[in-house]
Amino acid sequence: MRTKRVRSVAVAAVVAAGLALVVSACGGGGGGGGGSSSTSSSSQGKTFSQIKVVWGTTDYMDPGLSYRLESWQIFQDVYLGLVAKNPQTCGVGVGCTKIIPAIAEALPKSNSDGTDLKFTLRKGLKFSNGEPIKASDFKNSIIRDFKLNSPGIGFFSNIAGSEACEGNPSKCSDISGIIVDDKAGTVEIKLTKPQSDFLYILTTFFAAIVPSSTPDKDTENPPPPADGPYYISQYKPSRSFTVVRNPNWQSIPGIPDGNPDKITAIMTNDLAQSAQYVQSGQYDYDENTLPTDRLKQLQQKYGEQIKLWRTPSTYYFFMNQRTPPFDKLEARQAVNYAINRQTLVDLRGGLGVPTWNFLPPTYPQYKKITPTPYPYDLQKAKQLVQQSGTAGMTVGVYTISDDDIDKKQGEYLASQLDKIGWKTKLHELAGANYFVIVGNQKTKAQIGFTDWFEDYPYPTDWFDVLQNGKNIHEQHNNNNSNVNFKDTNAEIDRLGHLPPSQAFTDSTNAAWAALDKKLMVQYASEAPFLNGVITSFFSSRMDPNCDIFTDLFDDVAQMCVK
Amino acid sequence: MATTGQEEFTLDTAAELAAEEGGSKIEGKSPWTLAARRLRRNYLALAFLGLFILVLVACLLAPVYSTHVSHVHPDDANAGGSITVHGKKVPVLSQGGSKFGAGGSVTVTVGGIPIGPQWGASGGEYFFGADGLGRDVGTRLLYGGRNSLMIGLSSAAITTVISILLALIAAYFGGAPDWIISRFFDLIWAFPVILLGIALGTALSINGFNHGPIHIGAGSLWIPIAVIAFVFIPYIGRPLRGQVLALRNREFVEAATAQGAGSLRIMLTELLPNIASSVLVLFTLIVANAILTEVGLSFLGAGVQPPHPSWGTMIADGQDVLASDPWLSLLPGIMITITVISLNVFGDGLRDALDPRAKVRIEH
Repeated sequence: MRTKRVRSVAVAAVVAAGLALVVSACGGGGGGGGGSSSTSSSSQGKTFSQIKVVWGTTDYMDPGLSYRLESWQIFQDVYLGLVAKNPQTCGVGVGCTKIIPAIAEALPKSNSDGTDLKFTLRKGLKFSNGEPIKASDFKNSIIRDFKLNSPGIGFFSNIAGSEACEGNPSKCSDISGIIVDDKAGTVEIKLTKPQSDFLYILTTFFAAIVPSSTPDKDTENPPPPADGPYYISQYKPSRSFTVVRNPNWQSIPGIPDGNPDKITAIMTNDLAQSAQYVQSGQYDYDENTLPTDRLKQLQQKYGEQIKLWRTPSTYYFFMNQRTPPFDKLEARQAVNYAINRQTLVDLRGGLGVPTWNFLPPTYPQYKKITPTPYPYDLQKAKQLVQQSGTAGMTVGVYTISDDDIDKKQGEYLASQLDKIGWKTKLHELAGANYFVIVGNQKTKAQIGFTDWFEDYPYPTDWFDVLQNGKNIHEQHNNNNSNVNFKDTNAEIDRLGHLPPSQAFTDSTNAAWAALDKKLMVQYASEAPFLNGVITSFFSSRMDPNCDIFTDLFDDVAQMCVK
Repeated sequence: MATTGQEEFTLDTAAELAAEEGGSKIEGKSPWTLAARRLRRNYLALAFLGLFILVLVACLLAPVYSTHVSHVHPDDANAGGSITVHGKKVPVLSQGGSKFGAGGSVTVTVGGIPIGPQWGASGGEYFFGADGLGRDVGTRLLYGGRNSLMIGLSSAAITTVISILLALIAAYFGGAPDWIISRFFDLIWAFPVILLGIALGTALSINGFNHGPIHIGAGSLWIPIAVIAFVFIPYIGRPLRGQVLALRNREFVEAATAQGAGSLRIMLTELLPNIASSVLVLFTLIVANAILTEVGLSFLGAGVQPPHPSWGTMIADGQDVLASDPWLSLLPGIMITITVISLNVFGDGLRDALDPRAKVRIEH
């Protein structure tokens, strides 16, 4: 199931200062750090020769370009940045909020507002190709992102001197706000204004360090040399890849060395075939979600070999507020009344929980909206359509054609909108182009399916990127609904600019929760319907009890055999 | 007999046909009468014609089934609904969901499995079960058949008309018109039917066709009709051109020319009647091919656009749940098989009746 998708982001969340420093210092803040998602296992830490896995296809195998979970899941054992999320403290339901130093020897020293961060690199580290890791490699990796026109360049827009690169990414040659000294091994990053989530951004793979010699183009065969415990030795797009131990790896506290010496993957999007590979024992782990029609049967037969994980994700229908009928509140409320969230969970095979919130329950800032704001009520929805004066209007409904479940959810939405008084026209688009097309304002996509998996565990990743009117763009727009309310824009900015010491306080968490409620209930800015659940399927050779689920995905390198 | 390399055909005179029928008994009978007599004796072809008519009538009666039996529109999703079976309420899709426990544990109750065929246990509702969106499979099967047959028949008719015109012009006039039309046939022939169909169907299904006075919406059935009609033109045009070329120099054409008949008159009154039997046979065969192509294109998303049903989209909808709900793909598959086999067997029978020595067939 291609629900395990991270969408293209052209714009980073830009908010208040130094928060992540506080997060790391506090060991995950108010709600974080709640233990590993794995159960203990005696075999954990024992190395073995090879694990064979079945994997979904992905967009790129280059950390500067890929924005899909299928790649990121492998990258977590291959590419490191200055800092990393601490995999030992990632817990299901609590996120990976604790940040630890990775290539940097310690968390950065910063000035009072967190706009000047100073890192010192660990000494003697080398890439998998033998080149030493230098401070300039970090800077060049960020510049390379711009040259590649990476979907992650928006994350770095607050770095001083990045404006020229943003204006003309392919000509980017220098970012004055990144000052490096190869001799001393230091990296200094100057921000134009405080940004609370900047350290979290440095944990994304767009900030992973690759050698300066890496070509400024999609580099996939093989992918760029690694600075993590493994490197990708071979990649055949949509077919296979191989990951082996990095011969130059030096252990870093908090970063697991990994158990298998080699990870061999075959790639397919056929869920039934994928499961069959593991059932037959040919492969040890199925990265794809199990086919929902066979889930019950497989659960009965394979019991403990199947693991279920909740993800920090929200599936929702966007409603473009720049175009009728969704420029009217009544129309957006009508959609919220017209969809039966339980039915949408059923259509996903039961792999989800109905929601009316935008923020997933894995966040400490989450507070379930009660009472249920928009219970399923077709009559009420019809009345609201009449009140909005848009009855009979033609509404274009967008959804993904090559994912059976996304497709069904889009078709369900269209059918419900037909019932409440609009005439719908379905636009089913291939998943590869879907977000590019609906994210282009020229398309004028009125309503459609979308989802969001977290990039990093702070609400700015949700509200600033997806609900802030300042982040509406003509192309690659992730704020598909074009949500733009003065008071909520201001509140997003205010919360993002709170002093670091207040970032995870009860009152701040409550304020984020209130913002969630205001947007979803008072403005009905989106129609959220479920938080997703995904599956992991292991062969009988593997010990499923030592699986580490790092908030978004399993860590293959930490899997172990029985 | 003339041969173009791709196809063979004969041009039998009434006398030749009469000789095969037993001489004096059929004296004075027209070739059409003789063909009808032969067809009446071919019980297999007639049986399959009956089967095809049965499918056709059933599909034409889809609105009656929808109104009086299933009581649902083919596109109505009833995912959250329920029906009464033997006095008990049963959800159309099984209900499921996930529960989160302590330590991050997740329990899932699998949901969304559609109700199977009811075989009348719930009145007429869901006689053949529901699909993944809770839509009535029986209703969609009939409406889907209507769409598939309409597209197949319409596109075959359009292809045939265009092909006849092009074949007559090319073969009668020869020279530049023949060269241009023949290269046009070659150009289309060079592409595999499905590949060309996908390319055209996908492009046109995004924004429709809006050029000059022609405006066809993206979801219109005219898109697959036009695409299929286009891709099959050389498959009829080339054999017909060959036939006309052979007829062009026959004595009766020369006689008509000598009598002062114009080009149009010769084409319509001398040449066209002489290729009519081949046209009829090719048409029945191309209908079957057009239906199959429509099913293929719809299956691949380049034909009938959702939520409207066609047998192809129904197979596509059912493929992901083939293991648990095989009927979703099997039923439209069976209907396609019946329809195409009946058309092909009847087409063969018709060919045998019209011209027993002919080897008219669609070449790929």
